[in-house]
Amino acid sequence: MSAFSRGVRNAFRNKVRTFSVVLILGLSIGLALAMLLAHQAVTQKIDTVKSSVGNTITVSPAGFRGFSGGGNPLTQSDIDKIENTPHVVAISETLTDRLTSDQTNLQSSITAGSLGQRFSVSGGGGSASFGGEAPTDFTPPVMVIGTNDPTNLSSAGGGTFKLTNGQVFSPTSKDNVAIIGSALASKNNLSVGSTFTAYNTTIKVVGIFDGGNTFADAQLIMPLATVQTLSGQAGDITSAVVTVDSVDNLDSTTTAIKNTLGTAADVTNDQTRTQDTIDSLQNIQSISLYSLIGAVIAGSVIIFLTMLMIVRERRTEIGVTKAIGASNFKVMWQFMVEAMTLTLLAAVAGIIIGVVAADPITKTLVNNASTTSSTVSTGGGMFTQRFSGGGIAVGGGPSTSGAGPTFVARGRGFGAVRSNITNIHAAVGWSILVYGLAAALLIALIGSAIASWSIAKVRPAEVMRAS
Amino acid sequence: MLKVTNLSKSFRSGDTTVKAVDDVTFSLETGSFVSLVGPSGSGKSTLLAILGALEKPSGGSVEVDGQDISELGDSGLTKYRAKNVGFVFQNYNLIPNLSAVENVMLPMEFAGLPSKSRLARAQELLDSVGITDDKQLRKPSRLSGGEQQRVAIARALANNPKIILADEPTGNLDSQTGKMVFRLLQDLAKKQNTTVIVATHDLEIAGKTNAKLSLSDGKLKRSK
Repeated sequence: MSAFSRGVRNAFRNKVRTFSVVLILGLSIGLALAMLLAHQAVTQKIDTVKSSVGNTITVSPAGFRGFSGGGNPLTQSDIDKIENTPHVVAISETLTDRLTSDQTNLQSSITAGSLGQRFSVSGGGGSASFGGEAPTDFTPPVMVIGTNDPTNLSSAGGGTFKLTNGQVFSPTSKDNVAIIGSALASKNNLSVGSTFTAYNTTIKVVGIFDGGNTFADAQLIMPLATVQTLSGQAGDITSAVVTVDSVDNLDSTTTAIKNTLGTAADVTNDQTRTQDTIDSLQNIQSISLYSLIGAVIAGSVIIFLTMLMIVRERRTEIGVTKAIGASNFKVMWQFMVEAMTLTLLAAVAGIIIGVVAADPITKTLVNNASTTSSTVSTGGGMFTQRFSGGGIAVGGGPSTSGAGPTFVARGRGFGAVRSNITNIHAAVGWSILVYGLAAALLIALIGSAIASWSIAKVRPAEVMRAS
Repeated sequence: MLKVTNLSKSFRSGDTTVKAVDDVTFSLETGSFVSLVGPSGSGKSTLLAILGALEKPSGGSVEVDGQDISELGDSGLTKYRAKNVGFVFQNYNLIPNLSAVENVMLPMEFAGLPSKSRLARAQELLDSVGITDDKQLRKPSRLSGGEQQRVAIARALANNPKIILADEPTGNLDSQTGKMVFRLLQDLAKKQNTTVIVATHDLEIAGKTNAKLSLSDGKLKRSK
């Protein structure tokens, strides 16, 4: 029988102790593994969220929040300043307006409904307070978006815009042309080549798009210059989407634009908007990392104390073994094998615990953090979540301009990010199991090394004398 | 031949130095069966520890067949013990979770004996001390005190040592079993030509040995 097999056999010498140590150490290893998996899953999720964040910055007039806000539009001077900011490679400008029934012959494809009726009073620029008496013959206005970036309809109108018929107009076009939402086209029996009246001008339909939702499908997209001229808002911009050369420069460029425009504009980027959510994930990342370190330390302490106890208990036996010719190394090796056997058994138990517990723990942590984050966030998350659907509410106002369709996009996009974040899964791969076993062996070696070192100090003569 | 010359061993106890073994000199022929007697604290165990290479002396020398073991380092002492010394303890000190035969095989492993030959040798030794086949596979807790001591003697003989040191080997046994164990040690000394030194309080046993070393306050008083 070798020192190795004696070490393995010694691990089962006291069955109650073996069971207890394996259970406690197994829980520790299981927790460490669960935290490792949670850390890995959260790290991957953060990377995914970060990589899904575009390299764009949204600039809108300060205080501009559809019917709940106000402010003055951005001017060409503001756009020039943005253009001169380092790392800015493109600017997609939009001017949003609403066409009331006396400005167009188009009929909105959105039914006013009770919400539209109510918001027609408060949001529509009327004098009545919210909840006041609503006009019963109210017709929702038609949203019009002027853009200089018609090839990127999503940036102009938000949502998942897709051209289904016809073509887009030129970015610098000043023609009286439009591409219209499929629902609006259907409502007004329009197709490519048809015309309609807006701002007392005949406008030709050059394309039809699918906006992905009822509100977007009720919109109208026209050349920026045309909308500025026809609506009498020359040079005005209600939203600019700035493209930066690299995601790495997103924050610095956002800061630079903020500094340049001062209080005249609200400047945000996707990173800023997702930061609250990422913060909560990063908290989980930290918690899981600290828990992982704590569990590994706890495991090492458990095996260290166990081995120390065993060594003290078998002091006489060690002395006898050394007296009959065992070297220090041989005795130490035997105890290290014993520690490794206990740890490997605990590792098997820990892996089972970790694999079973990792996913629920991760989901619980993420869901709790996400709930907390949703509750405390204000400007970005909740506003956009609530008022993305508020596009319907926005539609109720007959005269107030400035419903920002980009808010629709933000609301949906950010909601999707949030939904995507809670959809997290702690996957167990072979590499994790191998690392787990390697870590368990490392714990055993570290934990038993100090205890084993005390073996070297056992003097057989003293043990003989004591016995 | 065992030759001890001016052997001494001192310990510090607080501010004072205690001489456990004080200028002891004697020599024994190979195959001697010797008793070591003296009251508690007279230095018997310390002298046995030095002769068994468990302790280094403070002064003097111990030569076994011409080799001075007091000059050996820790590693050298370990190797020396493994091949040349057998120990028999009052409390038997068998490894509790190993069977009788495994206990006997243990010193062979430490001495580097090939694993194939260990089992046969251990069984042969156990047979020679009267441990039957079925008891050879038992753990110490399932053997009587006399049987455990016989297993301990078999273990001490495992590597054909030059010296067997027995510290009160009959101390925990009834008189009948004690006499049997004593006779066993005596026979071994004769048959295997091994020097056996038995530390004991039992003067009756001491009287039956070839030689008697009597210690008092670390000094060798007399020998027969």
